[in-house]
Amino acid sequence: MARRGILGLFRDADGAAEAVDWLRRSQFSSEEFEVLTGSPYPEGAFGEGHIKHRLFIFPFVGAALGFAVAILLNIGTQVSYPIVTGGKPILSLPPMTIITYEGTLLGAILFTVLGIVFESRLPSRLPKIYDPRISDGYIGVMVACPEERLNEVDRGLRQAGAVDVKWEPGAAAKI
Amino acid sequence: MASSQEVTRHLLGGGRGRSPSFWLLVGVLTVLFGAGVVGLIIRLQGGFHERSVWGYYAATVAYLLTITQGAPLVAVALRLTKADWRRPVTRAAELFTVVGVLNFFLFLPLLALVPSAQGRSTVWLQWPWGAPHVWDTLAWALLVLCGLALLYTSVLPDVAAARDGATGFRQRVSAWLASHWQGTERQWRVQRGGLVLLGVFYLMLFVLVHTLFSSDFAMSIVPGWKDAIFPPFHALSGLQSAVAVTVVAMYLWRRAEGQPYLGRDQFWALSKVLFALSLLWFYFWFAQFLTMWYGRLPIEQTLLQLLMVGPYRVPFVLAFSLNFLVPFFILLWNPARKSILGPTLAATSILVGTLFDRIRIYVSAYSVEESAAHILEQVPATRLPDGVDILMVVGLVAGAVLFYVLAARLIPPIAIWEVKEGLYLRVERLFLRKGVSVVGKPE
Amino acid sequence: MQERRDTSFPQINQDLLRGVIKTPIWFWLVLGALGMVVLGGAGAMGYLFYVGLGLTGLNWPVMWGAFITTFVFWVGISHAGVMLSAILRLTHAEWRRPATRAAEVLTVFSLATAALFPIIHVGRPWRALYWIFPYDFARGIWPNIRSPLIWDPAAIFTYLTGSSLFVYIALLPDLAAARDHTTGWRHTLYSVISLGFRGTARQWRLQVMGGILLSALILPVFVSVHSIVSWDFGMTMAVSGWHVTIFAPYFVIGAVHSGVAAVVTLLALMRWVFGWQDYIRREHFDALGRLMLVVSTAWLYFFFMEFLFALYSGESAEIALREMQVFTPPWSYFFITFLLTAYFIPVPLWLFRGVRRSVPLMFLTSLSVNIGMWLERFLIFVPGLARKQVFTFDWYTYRPSAVEITIIAASFAVVALGVLLFSKFFPLVPIYDVKEGEVFSTRIEVGRRKVPAVVREE
Repeated sequence: MARRGILGLFRDADGAAEAVDWLRRSQFSSEEFEVLTGSPYPEGAFGEGHIKHRLFIFPFVGAALGFAVAILLNIGTQVSYPIVTGGKPILSLPPMTIITYEGTLLGAILFTVLGIVFESRLPSRLPKIYDPRISDGYIGVMVACPEERLNEVDRGLRQAGAVDVKWEPGAAAKI
Repeated sequence: MASSQEVTRHLLGGGRGRSPSFWLLVGVLTVLFGAGVVGLIIRLQGGFHERSVWGYYAATVAYLLTITQGAPLVAVALRLTKADWRRPVTRAAELFTVVGVLNFFLFLPLLALVPSAQGRSTVWLQWPWGAPHVWDTLAWALLVLCGLALLYTSVLPDVAAARDGATGFRQRVSAWLASHWQGTERQWRVQRGGLVLLGVFYLMLFVLVHTLFSSDFAMSIVPGWKDAIFPPFHALSGLQSAVAVTVVAMYLWRRAEGQPYLGRDQFWALSKVLFALSLLWFYFWFAQFLTMWYGRLPIEQTLLQLLMVGPYRVPFVLAFSLNFLVPFFILLWNPARKSILGPTLAATSILVGTLFDRIRIYVSAYSVEESAAHILEQVPATRLPDGVDILMVVGLVAGAVLFYVLAARLIPPIAIWEVKEGLYLRVERLFLRKGVSVVGKPE
Repeated sequence: MQERRDTSFPQINQDLLRGVIKTPIWFWLVLGALGMVVLGGAGAMGYLFYVGLGLTGLNWPVMWGAFITTFVFWVGISHAGVMLSAILRLTHAEWRRPATRAAEVLTVFSLATAALFPIIHVGRPWRALYWIFPYDFARGIWPNIRSPLIWDPAAIFTYLTGSSLFVYIALLPDLAAARDHTTGWRHTLYSVISLGFRGTARQWRLQVMGGILLSALILPVFVSVHSIVSWDFGMTMAVSGWHVTIFAPYFVIGAVHSGVAAVVTLLALMRWVFGWQDYIRREHFDALGRLMLVVSTAWLYFFFMEFLFALYSGESAEIALREMQVFTPPWSYFFITFLLTAYFIPVPLWLFRGVRRSVPLMFLTSLSVNIGMWLERFLIFVPGLARKQVFTFDWYTYRPSAVEITIIAASFAVVALGVLLFSKFFPLVPIYDVKEGEVFSTRIEVGRRKVPAVVREE
């Protein structure tokens, strides 16, 4: 089934929320539409579904990896070049703590950044019908709409108060 | 949501604390406290010539100082930062000031154990007179007085509410305590300003007392122990335990009375603070340990022996685990942090850990023989607690609990005025399709 | 937040992207002036490399002087970013919004500048590079991870990486806004680096959660960095005045003290230069002033502890060091200046609400703090080394040479230039955060009065 993107632009948040209500009444699931805003709104403000993400796993994985690498570096360098300096024994824990600590946190931070980008579904191509007015406070409701329902959705969005509705030109698309 | 009148009625509650189990608790605590006092009397009869037998007593005093006298700062800090969730928490924390009174009297015998600062290495350097005894006592007394003033200022509007609602004996006491309070706008302004000022003074005195007590009553006793981070570490441990003791008090109290005001929000918010303070605990300890370990100076190696890895390694390992490792691994997990049980477990662990931490510091320091040496050469052997020590530790801690329980019986253990203020500054609303709470920020 | 003026999103975009979109004359003038100073510094550096470290005032036993002082100073300034933006994010402080980006950017540039100094101090930096890249594994020589001089670059690398990524992640939505308001090559540039961010509910959710998570992760790094910098000194036995257990937290709190002050300086400049009176408001300076009261007093406590325990046991080495700091001119003048500028002039002033709400006064007092904090480090390092030896005939002093002073002055221009160029390409006030503040702010009625309020999700 071919789908095309359709974007309704709303000047106020109430209209967007009503559009979302209408979409839900018209059997659209929360994977089929998304609300675009120029700033964060409280989660679920437009009645969109709960967002599942696994961001919290990333820092743990990163920390584990960073820890492992740092420990290997710590042990490896000391074992391959075992010179006792300042009376501090080879492989003594207190000074090893520090590089291990930095390595662990570096791993955790790198993976968290990756996780944020990845879980935000970025990088992605900006849809052609994206409208710069969204960053000026308009609220966009973008629907991945089956071809045969385009007119219906257009009407529904306009009824909810959309000031502008844009259709994705031509070919099938996904959002 | 409860109305203002309901809050007052509920919190001033007629039925509160009249149950037999309450009196049973008070009875048990009184017996234990009595035993502790007996232990102290036995020890006093032994005299002060041998310092080492007082190690566990000093550890207990330090322990009570650490866990209870920082608690009002929880209330102070949360009020200063205008944390909205603090409202039901503050009084539970503030009430711990009453323990300070008991603690002050427990502190006095220790004075006989510490020689004058003249001719020794102390923080008093060449101070001409009265160091450390007079000034330490004065600082501690000021701390306790300031705490009581803070408590009184905070309690005043609630006592007035009790005056207007109660009968008989309580009515008369309340009327005497809250004689002028009518709740005029000017009175509220003064009360708020007073809370801020007294809070700031209390914080300064708290840090001062920790600094003086830890340096005069532990560090200066051990020849050659020069350790700038030890007083801040002692005070930080006081803050960590303060949050912990507040959490535990909140939990017990919730269990005992089914408080509707102390909810997950409060535990969750405090758990974050607790987590941060546990990390800081490790940080301060590590800064001390690493510098001493890395330097390889003979005296510093001996000190590490004395305080950490030598005869007191068991209490040290316990303290390290219970003050840092256990809370860290519990509170690392989001679900645990967001629960009520998680923070409570971590806090309990911290309270136990702090006892061992004070034991490894004070018992070891007090077991060092008095000598003219400038540097500690021999690490003394482990000193295990005898029967009297155990009586004192258990009994005096029970005494502290007793003071707290009785105070909570007399004083509304939730700041009624603060909760009521929250009632109209927090509104539940619908934001488009989502229910949110809206928090008012006056000023 | 009663001073907030209701502003619309287009207005916010227009105001906060002004620096990015328009290029006024003063921009070129300032750029030129800073460029000249930087070039001068680069020239001095080249001359120094050509002739050698003999051009500096460094001499036995004072082998670490103004360069290392300035290194520590800039690392200290870099602590502002995370301190403000992470702690204030974690505590949901409303007033953080306009300040976070500037603080983070200051972190990145001052940290990068700080990292220059050890490299300059090597004397012949290309040799250091030659030893490291490519690493000659065949020799079987490995870095000594038990040395603080290895911990330090590791910590700074972690912090620089982490804070740069932190800035970038928080920049994504603003890059998208910039993309929507530019044309031509800049539009293309912003399109690419904004990664196609379009403001779906999921992206915002991740942005907010990620910001908090990254804050929580970068805080421990921030504490560790300055601790490790302090251990460059504290681990050594050679200078007994440095071998102090309190050094790590003392340095960290001092760094926060100077860093927050630097953010105040920067915010005041931003307010004047870009005309952002509606965004960087007096209430923000008020809040920062209160924060600085707490931080500076905590710092004073640690300073006092450090000083007290130096005298604690009355060792002759310690006494000699303190005697030089406090009583020997010109160090005694530095010491008095340091105490006055770092604490005793600004802090009593901040007690007054009127001072905290006056932008020029906050600007001046924050500058004063940083003068004091530079001197503080100078007073720790130089007298420490000058009195390091046992015998008085081995005592010496230090005076920075013209070349050193030029390079140090240029380092300030480098940081300023970095922030200025950043502001040319990216908004210095987080646009989306300010907008979020607008969305989340509301009012509730208490009796007859309307009280400003914020929406809380949890």
